[in-house]
Amino acid sequence: MPESRKSRLTRPETLTALGIIVVAAGFLVPTSDLRAISALLPAVMLIGLIVLSSLLLLADQRRAGEGVPATPMTQSPKRVIGAFLLIVAYALATDFIGFYVSTAVTIPLVAWIFGYRSPLGLLIATVIVVGTIWAIFDFGMSQDFPTGRLLGR
Amino acid sequence: MHNIFKKTAIAGAMCLAAGAALAQGYPEKPIEVIVGYSAGGGTDVMARTAAPFIEKYLGEGASVVVKNVPGASGQIGVTEAANAAPDGYTLGTFNLPGMMARTIDRKADYDRDSFTYLANVVNDPNVIVTSKKSGLDTLDKLLEEAKANPGAITVGMSSLGGDDHFALIKLQNATGTEFTIVPFKGSAPARTALLGGHVAMGILNISEVAEFQDQLNVLGVATKERSQFAPDLPTFQEQGLDLVNGSMRGFIAPAGLPDDVRQKLMNAFSQLSGDQEFLDAMAATANPVEVVIGDDFKQLTSDLYDLAKGVWETTPWN
Amino acid sequence: MYNDLLHALPNVFALTNFIAVVIGVIAGIVVGAMPGLSATMAISVLVPFTFGLEPLVALGLMAGIYNGAMYGGAIPAVLLRIPGTPAAVATTFDGYPMAQRGEGGFALQVAVVSSSIGGIASAFALMLLAPPLSRVTLLFGPSEVFWVAVFGLASIIFLLGGNPVKGLISACFGVFVSVIGSDPIFGNDRFTFGRLEMLDGINIVILLVGLYALPPVIDLLETPLKTDGVNSSKLGTESIWKALPRMKSYWKTWLRGSLIGIWIGILPGAGGSMAAFMSYNEARRTSKTPETWGEGEPEGVAAAEVANNADTASALIPALTLGIPGTAVAAVMLGGLLVHGLQPGPMLFRDNPDIVFGFMWQFLFGAILLVLLGGSLATNSFARLLNLPRPLLGAVIIVLMLIGVYTIHGRMFDVYLMLGFGAIGWVMDRLKFPLPPVVLGLILGGFAEENLRLALRIGRGDPMILFQNTTSLILVALTIAVIVGPTLKRRYFDSRMKM
Repeated sequence: MPESRKSRLTRPETLTALGIIVVAAGFLVPTSDLRAISALLPAVMLIGLIVLSSLLLLADQRRAGEGVPATPMTQSPKRVIGAFLLIVAYALATDFIGFYVSTAVTIPLVAWIFGYRSPLGLLIATVIVVGTIWAIFDFGMSQDFPTGRLLGR
Repeated sequence: MHNIFKKTAIAGAMCLAAGAALAQGYPEKPIEVIVGYSAGGGTDVMARTAAPFIEKYLGEGASVVVKNVPGASGQIGVTEAANAAPDGYTLGTFNLPGMMARTIDRKADYDRDSFTYLANVVNDPNVIVTSKKSGLDTLDKLLEEAKANPGAITVGMSSLGGDDHFALIKLQNATGTEFTIVPFKGSAPARTALLGGHVAMGILNISEVAEFQDQLNVLGVATKERSQFAPDLPTFQEQGLDLVNGSMRGFIAPAGLPDDVRQKLMNAFSQLSGDQEFLDAMAATANPVEVVIGDDFKQLTSDLYDLAKGVWETTPWN
Repeated sequence: MYNDLLHALPNVFALTNFIAVVIGVIAGIVVGAMPGLSATMAISVLVPFTFGLEPLVALGLMAGIYNGAMYGGAIPAVLLRIPGTPAAVATTFDGYPMAQRGEGGFALQVAVVSSSIGGIASAFALMLLAPPLSRVTLLFGPSEVFWVAVFGLASIIFLLGGNPVKGLISACFGVFVSVIGSDPIFGNDRFTFGRLEMLDGINIVILLVGLYALPPVIDLLETPLKTDGVNSSKLGTESIWKALPRMKSYWKTWLRGSLIGIWIGILPGAGGSMAAFMSYNEARRTSKTPETWGEGEPEGVAAAEVANNADTASALIPALTLGIPGTAVAAVMLGGLLVHGLQPGPMLFRDNPDIVFGFMWQFLFGAILLVLLGGSLATNSFARLLNLPRPLLGAVIIVLMLIGVYTIHGRMFDVYLMLGFGAIGWVMDRLKFPLPPVVLGLILGGFAEENLRLALRIGRGDPMILFQNTTSLILVALTIAVIVGPTLKRRYFDSRMKM
């Protein structure tokens, strides 16, 4: 049974190919401001991306027409999105409230959310990791990590 | 957004405090010098070599800490220095003509009035060199060939809008010649192309060719007097060509530095040129010293800006 | 010169100088083994400190770190499919399948022995042949270097994977990323959107950490088994003396990989990853059983690892003699040399023989120490780390990724950029887009463009400049052979079959 129109368009490869085409076309706009020789290589690559993605799109749609089901990108989208959001949140927290605080919170938090829940293990791991980083980078190599834009220096 | 707000707030608070608190005990905490390049680069080595001597001449247990903020040919670092609080605890390194050229060929968040000019410390004069394979072993031969075949001579140099480029433009204007520019990423690749004979001529700096004098023809030095770095090389003026140009590195602070702090810092910098130990350390790291203090440094910067601006208006390079 | 070489030796064995090499190798292995941390980063963090150190202590540390990290990068490449350093990408091809088969221990032993051999060969090249090899570097002007880059890019066709369209999309993406930043000739911005942070281009480490480390981390969190039962508990490690005889047949690969690594090292700009890719491709091309490559062929690990260590010391040949570093790490090391007043050039060897030749010895000893320190100690302890509960392992790698990317330039902008590449990397991973073409495209795309445009300027616009000398023509012929060779070979066999 052929798939419905909507699910044909939401196949991962189709979506990706469409995404690449849109983004590549977007990047093509500023190439017109560049000198010809400067724009040549990027423009060729972007056009290449558009052509290749169109091929990918066609191939995927043909498979859809033949009724081949698309393989889902993940079995547990919630976990993947959650993991990615946590990593982004960690980067933002480092930027705005400082590296050491964020790290000391993130390690146990991530491990706990994703299923490792031994309090002692979490404590030891956090202390070891943060302590080692401090000893090597801050104490040993006087590398400054972000102290947090919100807190000032 | 946050950043700007915070900076204005801090700057405001600092200005209020500056007059009263800073006058006596400066420096009472470490002075940070922002270097716009990675550790180990020419400018970084200059800053780190100079740091202990500045500490010595500031006295009172001063401590100078180098902070590397690399990226965009030093522009990120110098922008940070320009926007720092003018309290004397944040200084920056400054490269000429690069830092001024960037305000012309690119959008920059600073201009020549954003700084308190402390001291220029290094002046690395340009040299014209030719490849052994080219057969152009004197300045006369080079200019003759350039006049006979305009554009036929390829010139290896580091990127456009730098000191090498301005030296070439001065040469072209002074002699009515025309060359083909081949801008490499940095001087070392340009020098290698010269050694391999892939380009005929090069414009480099004296510190970059001092070790390679046997493998290249060095035709002259763009200084008024012979450089101590290679005293046996003649200047262009000796050869009847008025060409003086070089790459300069110095120290700046944000604009609006309190007068007594500025005086104290300039005082410390001005003693550098008389310190033999400092001169030796700089010579060992390929940094020919020429100290220019305060207003003279500011004038120098201004002149270079005008030159770059003039060049840009007639022949923009990008 | 050889006299100076011997003369420098006793100083190398001074206690502090020797300890520096040992510490360097250990630190290098650790740094390389940490996903996210790279040798470039470790040495650039170290450079400011070397101001206060004796020259040979500082240089010994750097030589040790460089050698150690080139092997260390193989550890997560084999165990987690995360290359610890850019040069270890090719090690994942066969190393990870081996680990999944329960032969991770043997893969790491092959890696450490190969790394060591490559390092030793490279150190000898540096010690004995630096001046003649630097003359080889001089033969390569912009047009010749352009053909080297094209030759490297041609090998992308072997890395396309099962679906050539996806492989080519990856390659185009990589090349496109390589042009971001300032234009190589005019210096105007390309696709930087006014961000100064992007003017110098996208650092390979940022892209690599995003593409290669983030997807496996998400995997670790997505399917939280208690521990990673497949590949960590059964490393299958046996004594290295038992493992060595199994490696006897790799000598050809080692020899070829060493030569390729040394050659890539003396050419400015390309670096360890290209050496590893090329060595891998060449070894596979000449293998009798090319179909087992990519499925866990130990010789593939040997080919990649021997080459990425073989360009360590040789990358210093152009760095020391001409001031042009052969790899990103050598570029940072050049800074470390300048700090000690060691200016590259022909005089360097005359003015500071004890330090320069001592430094070369340190490279050699670093490479030898690699087997001793990397063999048992590192391999076993790092494998044990993988027994950590998967969510915890994932959390720790996230922190390391942030540190590794942040410390390159000390700015958060790079971290956000890395996360962006990470999202792209995850999609690519799930949809089976091959990642190696992205890496090669990034390394060689802009590099090829820059040299092509320099060559065209030298030729004043005449493209014939690209074909004007023997070196260029040889490289063109090699490139054609690489592209057409396999097809011709197949035709030949097919026609024989029909008869």
